[in-house]
Amino acid sequence: MPKTDEVVQKLRAMLPEDAVCADEAYKAGVAFSVLAPLGKLRDAARLFNEAGFFLETITGLDFQDTAELVYHFNCYEPKSRVAMRVLCGHDQVAPTVSDVYASAMWLEREVHEFFGIRFADNPDLRPLLLPEDADYHPLRKTFGKVNAYRKREEIYG
Amino acid sequence: MAEKFQEPVVDQIYTLNLGPQHPSTHGVLRVLLDLDGEFIVKADPVIGYGHRGHEKMGENRTYKQFMPNSSRMDYLSGMIYNHGYVLAVEKMAGIQVPERAQHIRVICSELNRISSHLLWFGTYVMDLGGFTPFLYAFDDRERILDILDRVSGSRLTYSYCRFGGVSRDVDVEFIEMTRAFVKRLRSRWSDYHNLVTKNIIFIHRTRDVGVITKEQASQYGVSGPNLRACGIGYDVRKAEPYENYDQFDFEIPIGEKGDALDRYKVRLEEMEQSCRIIEQALDKLPKGPVMAEKVPANVKPPKGDLYFAFESARGLTGYYLVSDGATTPYRLHIRVPSFGNLHVLVEVLKGTLMADAISILGSVDVVIPEIDR
Amino acid sequence: METCERTIEPVEPVIKFAVLEDILNLARANSLWPMTFGLACCAIEMMAAGASRFDLDRFGAGVFRPSPRQSDLMIVAGTISKKMGPAIKMLWDQMPNPKWCVAMGNCAISGGPFEYEGQYAIVAGADEIVPVDIYIPGCPPRPEALIQGFLALQDKITKGEDRNILRRFRRKGGQS
Repeated sequence: MPKTDEVVQKLRAMLPEDAVCADEAYKAGVAFSVLAPLGKLRDAARLFNEAGFFLETITGLDFQDTAELVYHFNCYEPKSRVAMRVLCGHDQVAPTVSDVYASAMWLEREVHEFFGIRFADNPDLRPLLLPEDADYHPLRKTFGKVNAYRKREEIYG
Repeated sequence: MAEKFQEPVVDQIYTLNLGPQHPSTHGVLRVLLDLDGEFIVKADPVIGYGHRGHEKMGENRTYKQFMPNSSRMDYLSGMIYNHGYVLAVEKMAGIQVPERAQHIRVICSELNRISSHLLWFGTYVMDLGGFTPFLYAFDDRERILDILDRVSGSRLTYSYCRFGGVSRDVDVEFIEMTRAFVKRLRSRWSDYHNLVTKNIIFIHRTRDVGVITKEQASQYGVSGPNLRACGIGYDVRKAEPYENYDQFDFEIPIGEKGDALDRYKVRLEEMEQSCRIIEQALDKLPKGPVMAEKVPANVKPPKGDLYFAFESARGLTGYYLVSDGATTPYRLHIRVPSFGNLHVLVEVLKGTLMADAISILGSVDVVIPEIDR
Repeated sequence: METCERTIEPVEPVIKFAVLEDILNLARANSLWPMTFGLACCAIEMMAAGASRFDLDRFGAGVFRPSPRQSDLMIVAGTISKKMGPAIKMLWDQMPNPKWCVAMGNCAISGGPFEYEGQYAIVAGADEIVPVDIYIPGCPPRPEALIQGFLALQDKITKGEDRNILRRFRRKGGQS
């Protein structure tokens, strides 16, 4: 998987020491898992775009102490998925990657309406799936019926 | 002289609302079209008319209770979604599946893929105005539904794949019916080609219509037959083989131009490749149990996350599970292929004719409730 | 979204016919034109009921009209989300009288498998928005179930199985 190795090399140069973990056995469905700070999100996304990766999906996660955004990048080669995790406080504003990846326009809209995380410079943050006048964020663990509301370290250690 | 009394023709852009109740939008899709005459200047899809809150339900249901939800997101490939969900949880919880069950699950998934493509074929040509292929396609599809109904109890939304295997073993009649079906379907290709593929009206309505370039496909996350029609041969069954797909010999049909005609041809060829997989799986079907030995009644995967990708009839689908060790997931996110497939149309529909828009919408095979989740 | 007020459709016509009413009902029942209103999974079974194996055309209902102005039966097939609710009300109002509504599938009857305490996204049943005549349970109901519901609607319109002289399917020993 040469493309993935290339991108990870560049990421290692840009990010702190232990930000990139490899997963040889593809156990979690990703070849590499990267923990990036919020400020480096756009640079990392540009790296992936130049290397020919596409943005598969953006997932939002709601923890007690922080919110998390998980970006999955993939390219058209076997077993080359890379997960990039970005921690973002509940009241923080995340930078947008919609000028790098066009699919992020809708993906960020969805994360915004379900979690309330705002994306700076995304020109269109209208609700995507919820009614236009919705003022609630359903997937927050403070909304509706919730089974568990945990801190991030309880799951990822 | 008469021109002095005529009103000057003013170019006006007016907004037309397509949907959410429309015969050709394949679910409840609403597209706000800005039209200049018959040409589309801007297309803005409005979705969410089928939003049921599956991801919130995923956090409130145990892994077993979520299984009916998995089929109902993309109901046309319900078996494939069910299969993928079960595989994701099995991978996370470390449950081994006996070989016979693996083969049976692959056969049922490929039958489901054929039935989804047949339905797409029927409804697409019906959107373009031809009603007869719809009846042909549904006739073949009913045979598949009979086979799957016999073994799983359900025609459209299945919970046949369970954690550890399948719920019920297949009998000799299932094998014979499937073989007879594959044989019959192969004899029908000539009918479909004579009726549709060689039809001059169909060719005019699909050739060079709705071209998706490779850059657009990559930017918007297009996957599945739409991506393969552009020329990129990416299929999750070959890129990240799951279950025992690496034991079967099949090809990935690839198109050239990325227009609607290529998407059509890729899907028809995919049905033939699915027939090949089914035949090989039937030949190699081993004896043995169909359910793993010790499967807990309430599955509790260990803490952590898993992204499991599989190839549904529409493209690259993924289940992203985050578990905190409890019986309910902490987060269950589903990556659906129709999301990207519909999003790319915002660019592709610019500058096309209104009638071509219907053809393009049909050719990318979107199922709206899976986008809405 | 609050549930819409149920408007009471006028039931008693001003002029009453006797035998003519029966003939009109017979005509209406045996040529119901459904509106294509599939929302989710049940729509596929509705299409399968209209296809060649479970032919709905033999009951006079083969012509699925896309426009509400040309149809007299609305088959609500699928889950109704809160975003879709006002559209359903608008479509129902656009249909000319006499009109009927069939709730097909568990979601249209009562929210189906997706209704739970804390559900924020769906309307628990079509009868919160429109008056429903026939409920067809199933998830999704088989096309035969849709046909059974259809025949029940025909009997409701003609006020009795025996008065529908064009009906060729009778249930043995019992009402339909």
